[in-house]
Amino acid sequence: MFGDAATGLINEARHSKALDTLISYNDEMVRNVVREIRTLDADMETAFKENTDDIPDSPPSANVMCEINVYHASAHRNKRCLLAYLSYRIDRLKDSYWASGGALPHVLNDQDLRQKMSPHEVDFLRQYNALIMDYRSDVLDVLDVAGGLLSPPKDLYVQVRVVRDCGTIHTELGTIDFQKGQRFMIRRSDVEHLIVQGYLEPV
Amino acid sequence: MEDGGDDGRRPQPVGSPGSVPRDLDRELDRLDDERMLDKLTRYWIDERNSPDILVWQGLVVEETLDKLQAQAEMVQKLQEDPRTSEEEHFRIVLIQTEAERVKFLVRSYLRTRLHKIEKYAAYIIQTPEMRGRLSVTELAHAQKYHALLTAHFHSSALSGLPESMRSLDDDEDESGRGTVTRPNKAQGLFIRARRRCPVSLPNGGILELEKGAIHLIPYEAIEALLRLGDVECL
Repeated sequence: MFGDAATGLINEARHSKALDTLISYNDEMVRNVVREIRTLDADMETAFKENTDDIPDSPPSANVMCEINVYHASAHRNKRCLLAYLSYRIDRLKDSYWASGGALPHVLNDQDLRQKMSPHEVDFLRQYNALIMDYRSDVLDVLDVAGGLLSPPKDLYVQVRVVRDCGTIHTELGTIDFQKGQRFMIRRSDVEHLIVQGYLEPV
Repeated sequence: MEDGGDDGRRPQPVGSPGSVPRDLDRELDRLDDERMLDKLTRYWIDERNSPDILVWQGLVVEETLDKLQAQAEMVQKLQEDPRTSEEEHFRIVLIQTEAERVKFLVRSYLRTRLHKIEKYAAYIIQTPEMRGRLSVTELAHAQKYHALLTAHFHSSALSGLPESMRSLDDDEDESGRGTVTRPNKAQGLFIRARRRCPVSLPNGGILELEKGAIHLIPYEAIEALLRLGDVECL
């Protein structure tokens, strides 16, 4: 039936939203929808040709118009569903990007997430990251737009526990080697991105 | 952020300029300082709540950033100065904390706008009036983002479609099939009147807002008043 594949895409997006996780990019279904649109377009063409062959330049009869209309509406509905699916995924990916404090490698190294993305989506994120870098650089000497937004900071310093090794980090007070299990009292703005990315945990 | 009003004033005891202004001037300056952060807070709340993108408050943001930078430099100087007393060090910590809080405000303001700009990118590009509301950087971002998203749609799906269907349907036609997302101006908003002002409601009636009165009102009815600062969001 027309539109079943497109409805499938919309349902996947809905499930993804309900479960609050990204579902793997359904390349096959996207291809099916694209193919269906092409078939519909061809059918429309045929219907038009077959019925106007006898008398050229005459308007098609009401029956034919009706047939063409059904094809046309189905094709456009499919296209709309396709775009909705793609744009829903982009929104989700952007959310993950921002949730990591604008750290692209952090998002791309997440194997679980990476597997679910299409190659085009990886490209999109890379280029999006470049755009955001441009935007950030405008005010970067004073503040980092990609910093945490959970709540306004109450203290200058924060006590953290290292949950995952994250190597040597340069801070205002010199370099610190964070190793799992250690605790630090440290300037919040220096390590905010590490907290956001889950390397450190506020105590 | 009620405690944030005097942010710009704090370092003055140690770093005030040489010429002492007359008392009145100083008083005005002080008021201006307070107003700036209050303004920023108000613009931030308005921006967070309204469905549409509001006018870019470049002056206030620039001024806040300049002040933050000047303050950071002053703090650095004082920290390195061995003559700085214990009490002053304590005050420095307070200033730094406050600066972090102001940064949070600016960051949230910028990010809220960025989010809306990406959401309405296609609409912004079509509408000259919207473009005027953005900063230069924001407008550039809107254009580049829209191009990027369009390219993504094309490479992922649209390029496989019949030629006549490859466009993004940017034009709204009578079938309502357009793909341009617009702000929903009919959305309701909690507002407080900052001064007495009349509002013309969508049903044709006129409502007189008393100063300080709180109302739930569709955004389109108070759009102009919000821009003038006659009402504020809650």
